[in-house]
Amino acid sequence: MSTSMTPPSSAHQRTTADQAVRGNGRAVTAAPPGVPQSPLEASSKRSRWTVAILLAVAMLWTLIPLVWMLLSSFKNRSDVTAATPQVLFAPTLDNYRNLFSGPNNLGPYIWHSVLAAGISALLALFLGALAGYGLARTRMRGKKHLAFWIISTRMAPIAAIVVPLFLIFRGLGLIDSIPGLVLAYLTFNLPFAIWLMSAFFAEVPPSLEESALVAGCTRWQAFRTVILPLTKSGLVTTFVLCLVFAWNDYAFAVVFSGPNSQTLPIAASQLVTQTGIDWGQLTAIGTIVVVPMMLAGLAVRRWLVTGLTLGAVTGE
Amino acid sequence: MTHVADSSPVLRRPAGPESLAPREPRYGFEGRMMTPGLILLAALSIVPFFALIAMSFSRVRLLGGVRLDAVGLANWVRFLTDADMWMSWLRTVVYFVLTVGLEMVLGVGIALCLYRVLRGRNILLSLLLLPMFAAPVIVGLLGRYLTDSTFGLYAWVLRSLGYTGDILGSPTSAFAAVVLMDVWEWTPLIALITLAGLSSVPQSVREAAAVDGAPAWMTFRYIIFPAISNVLLVALLIRSMDAIRYFDIIWVTTNGGPADATKIVPIRLYETAFRFFDFGYAAAIGLAMLAFSIFIARTFVRLLDTRGLTR
Repeated sequence: MSTSMTPPSSAHQRTTADQAVRGNGRAVTAAPPGVPQSPLEASSKRSRWTVAILLAVAMLWTLIPLVWMLLSSFKNRSDVTAATPQVLFAPTLDNYRNLFSGPNNLGPYIWHSVLAAGISALLALFLGALAGYGLARTRMRGKKHLAFWIISTRMAPIAAIVVPLFLIFRGLGLIDSIPGLVLAYLTFNLPFAIWLMSAFFAEVPPSLEESALVAGCTRWQAFRTVILPLTKSGLVTTFVLCLVFAWNDYAFAVVFSGPNSQTLPIAASQLVTQTGIDWGQLTAIGTIVVVPMMLAGLAVRRWLVTGLTLGAVTGE
Repeated sequence: MTHVADSSPVLRRPAGPESLAPREPRYGFEGRMMTPGLILLAALSIVPFFALIAMSFSRVRLLGGVRLDAVGLANWVRFLTDADMWMSWLRTVVYFVLTVGLEMVLGVGIALCLYRVLRGRNILLSLLLLPMFAAPVIVGLLGRYLTDSTFGLYAWVLRSLGYTGDILGSPTSAFAAVVLMDVWEWTPLIALITLAGLSSVPQSVREAAAVDGAPAWMTFRYIIFPAISNVLLVALLIRSMDAIRYFDIIWVTTNGGPADATKIVPIRLYETAFRFFDFGYAAAIGLAMLAFSIFIARTFVRLLDTRGLTR
């Protein structure tokens, strides 16, 4: 079901949507014998081919660049820049080996990325879970304005935030430091986490807390022991998306980071030099940057729609 | 949100948070929960916001400590009279309409196709979603590799089709290339959201239309489209806000060139601030961009309110 309203109704509608899908499966594949072919079936044979072809084109368009990046990262120098694209080649690990040896070792970049993205995602999740719960349950006046302020912080263009933040960070000595990057990433991850967690908490019926209160829990105990375990998938989704946003950032890192804090996207862009680009190493870095986030993203695929629409649309 | 619940009988919950309230003072537990996050958010958003306003009316000196010298409306006058700036806005609008428009059309198309697939839909969807998780910088650099005129895979394909130009070297093809890179990365998001919306259209309604002999496009126009229009609007708004947030792809492929063909507003802002160190003027540009994104945010929140999409 698409539009989430109250938790029970959306859960119910989700199951009916599932049934509808399955119902379609039956209608198309196994019509009862003796029943004349419906127009739906007659047209479906023709259109099934159209659908298959269109999807095949979409798959090729989507996957070719990624597969090509992966293949190229295992090519040697001459194969990577061959005028005729090489599909069959002798694979080599040289590109990866070169990334981790020599003066410009990739190790520190990975460490900076893990630290900056990981800490900012954890902080956003922690503060976002607390504030999101408050936002979901509060009845204060001006809640609407508060929510609007939070969402507009998330939507503010990075270019507009970077300029004043640069001056402030300069004043505070936060340029070229991991804490500086963490704070910069919190400008978009914190409002995102608050808003999204509040959407997940709103799906939990308040009656659950009430029974916990009746049983003698404090509000904090009810939150900690009853509500949090119920929103585990929400917590994981929020964390993963915050991690992806921060890990993939370039616009903040290019301004705020220096030798002590440069992240992986910066390492990738530094391979672009005046003298030329080592595409073998570049595709290897690309693979290292992209693959972990794809795995993390697919791990929370069931809740991706909810997460990426900030809770406005519920999927599956 | 409460006011939605008040106006709609469907959403009224008998045991709402109301019954928790009497035991607590007005800003009690919820307020305490929100405080740490909101204080940090305020520090990270309101302080820079006022700094941005102050900077837009000043000349910012960086040497020997940050200093703001008031210059009145100079930055704003320059902003309004800068012909290059207007060209950048125009280009941004074209870039915005092309990327978001293509992504919406293709995304809805892919979702409609995927919806007809019954077996293996999940694996297909998972594969189609992959570009979304790629760092935009990598997408840009990969795009550069694929379109390189001597060894790029796509350049090779185009060459065998008869196109021999340098793709990122001439204004029109460079613009098309950066648009397509963005489309490659973000079309899956639209497909994902639309697919969630399609699952809400009752199958019986679609079948009834087909039995009545309605052509496919009429079924889409009069049955499916109205049912998923809210979800499409959400997808459009989400994409719109990110379309002007991210400019990494252009930054690492053409960096605004060739001949300013891809110089959209955020690129110009970065250049103004971090190459020419004209922070005052950059702040004015930043505020104008912020106004646009606040407009999107307002529309988003209002949509959630009025159409009952919100919780």
